[in-house]
Amino acid sequence: MRTPRLAIAVGAVTLMMLAGCDRKAEEATVSLDRPAIDVSAQADDVAYHLPEVVVVDFEDGTTKEQFDALEKDWGIDLELADEEEGVDSAITVGTFQGDVATLLGTIRQNAKVENAEPLMRFSASFVPNDPAYEKQWNLKMINMPKAWDRVKGKGVVVAVLDTGVAYEDHDDFRQVPDLRGTKFVEGYDFVNKDRHANDDHGHGTHVAGTIAQATNNGEGVAGVAFEAAIMPVKVLDHFGGGTSADIADAIRWAADHGANVINMSLGGGGRSAVMEKAVEYARKKGVVVVCAAGNGGRGIVEYPAAYPGSVAVAAVGPAGSRAPYSSWGKELDIAAPGGDKSQGEEAGIIQNTIDPQDVSHAVYASYQGTSMATPHVAGLAALLFSAGAKNPDQVEKALFASAHPPKGATGWTDQYGHGVIDAEAALQALKKMGAASELNELLPTEVQVAKQEPEVTTSDVTAFSYGAMDWKPFAFGAAMLAFVLLTLGKKERPGYLNVFASPGFLIPLVLTTMGVFFVRWVAPANELTTSFVIPIPDWLNKIIFGRGSLANPLVYSALAPIVLSLLAIKLKGMRHAVGGLAIGFAGILAYTAWAKAPALAWLPFTFLAIPWLVVNAIICLFLARAMLKRETA
Amino acid sequence: MTTMKGTIRFRDLETGIWLLEAEDGKLYVLAGGDRKLKKNGARISVEGDVDAESPNLAMAGPRFVVKSYTFL
Repeated sequence: MRTPRLAIAVGAVTLMMLAGCDRKAEEATVSLDRPAIDVSAQADDVAYHLPEVVVVDFEDGTTKEQFDALEKDWGIDLELADEEEGVDSAITVGTFQGDVATLLGTIRQNAKVENAEPLMRFSASFVPNDPAYEKQWNLKMINMPKAWDRVKGKGVVVAVLDTGVAYEDHDDFRQVPDLRGTKFVEGYDFVNKDRHANDDHGHGTHVAGTIAQATNNGEGVAGVAFEAAIMPVKVLDHFGGGTSADIADAIRWAADHGANVINMSLGGGGRSAVMEKAVEYARKKGVVVVCAAGNGGRGIVEYPAAYPGSVAVAAVGPAGSRAPYSSWGKELDIAAPGGDKSQGEEAGIIQNTIDPQDVSHAVYASYQGTSMATPHVAGLAALLFSAGAKNPDQVEKALFASAHPPKGATGWTDQYGHGVIDAEAALQALKKMGAASELNELLPTEVQVAKQEPEVTTSDVTAFSYGAMDWKPFAFGAAMLAFVLLTLGKKERPGYLNVFASPGFLIPLVLTTMGVFFVRWVAPANELTTSFVIPIPDWLNKIIFGRGSLANPLVYSALAPIVLSLLAIKLKGMRHAVGGLAIGFAGILAYTAWAKAPALAWLPFTFLAIPWLVVNAIICLFLARAMLKRETA
Repeated sequence: MTTMKGTIRFRDLETGIWLLEAEDGKLYVLAGGDRKLKKNGARISVEGDVDAESPNLAMAGPRFVVKSYTFL
């Protein structure tokens, strides 16, 4: 009698949990933070070699019949690479599933084989035809030609918050020739309060040029992400100065108007809470904010670069060492070429800009500064978005993981941050992360990693959720109780309904699953009352680790019931209470796994969250069963 | 309003920045004044306000907004 009942109960609970898992899989939709990005540029990703395809060159004159006979032993179907020429050369190709290296080793042992190797695909790196491209040591330094083979920035918008950009013919402003062909989206002039963010200084146009100078157009020089669109936003006046209020407004405006990356080659002044909040706002909207570290040549990173939400950029010269003017410090993130004209004019960064004396006159100017380094990083961030990065976390991880630290260093330093950027390596790093992030996206959004929003746990009862009664954890607890009672033999069972009559059992069960739920009916929401209406594990997590912290796996486990049940070995009077607590824990853990598994702190892999909860729920069940069992002896 | 003595310094950074190297050794990014102020190496006495709040493209220290000046 007992065995089938146990089997039915186990089956029922397992089915319930499996159903929960299935539901998760269906719900797990891929959420793109910025769906506007066109990722079609991924198509021009070049596969350098196709390892599953092999080339075998037989002795000249080897016939198809001969190699068909040989290939049977190798388990590969080889065909002539070229019907016309192949009859003489006997060069064959074939596709193979499995360990290619071992296969090639076997093939090479045959006397009729001259050579066997993986098929290589050759492609020349992209070299733009811009006549002064040869002078752009900075682009070669960061490995641009290889990166351009993969992606050029299509579909991404980079806002340039600066002195404006010479992007249009308006009034006495003229578009500079090497921005002809560059894409622009509507910007704003926060200094003069109009729609024409033209450059009356020369700085912003130079910076915009590094990001997206018209490239391969037979004119002037190249830019990093030349298929990206520039959003010209003027925040600095014709002397190159601005206000924190204008800049903060401009950051929010750019984030609200579709920018994916914000470049701020500006800094100085004190810490501004208004600007810091604006940077945080932009980042939460999925915007990568890139800022210059400063030109003081001292160990102070200027604001806004020093705000937590922004990527702080130092400058290096052609030799790859920190430029003497570049600021450094603990908030530094990364380094990029910014020029070092102490080594000559050609060691600066050359872009097309306006003559500061005459806004309608274009010049090619060689400038140096952390302002010049910053747009290299902003441009690379645009390439990463274009290559499929989905949020600032992914962009920054790829940037930092692929940067080259200075000689002798291995990781972050206060002079170079994570090191000097490398566009090709960053794209490869993103690609490697891609496999992991796709796996990540199959998980329910609640357990995904790399979300830029601060994680909110179930312990965060807001005034909004205060009034809503959540019976579900209790319902799960009740189901768990039914399971326990059904699996106990008649003599061991304390009675189906007797347990409910025992307050020592019922109160811990209710507290663990619903908290002091009725408080919400008699008192308004405030700091104190909101902490009464949450279940015990949420409450523990809140008081131990602080409000809004990630759910701790030790709190959301069988740990508390285990500890208490050890005490109950001696103190038999505690048993029903511990049983109630264990049932409650089993209920809430199972419910959490079923409904919205929280991101658990410390766990190395997010996919472990649900198994962790399920396993601990089962442990709680066994504890509860032991606690409720009536002594038969 | 502050009065300071110092030396005008041009730095070929960014689009070209003008600094006041004050007698106490501190560097200020020059703002305001007029174009005749731009004399590299000139000794000067300036009257104006220190502005440590405004972001700018020089990023080389606080700004000194010049109201009036005399070369020494």
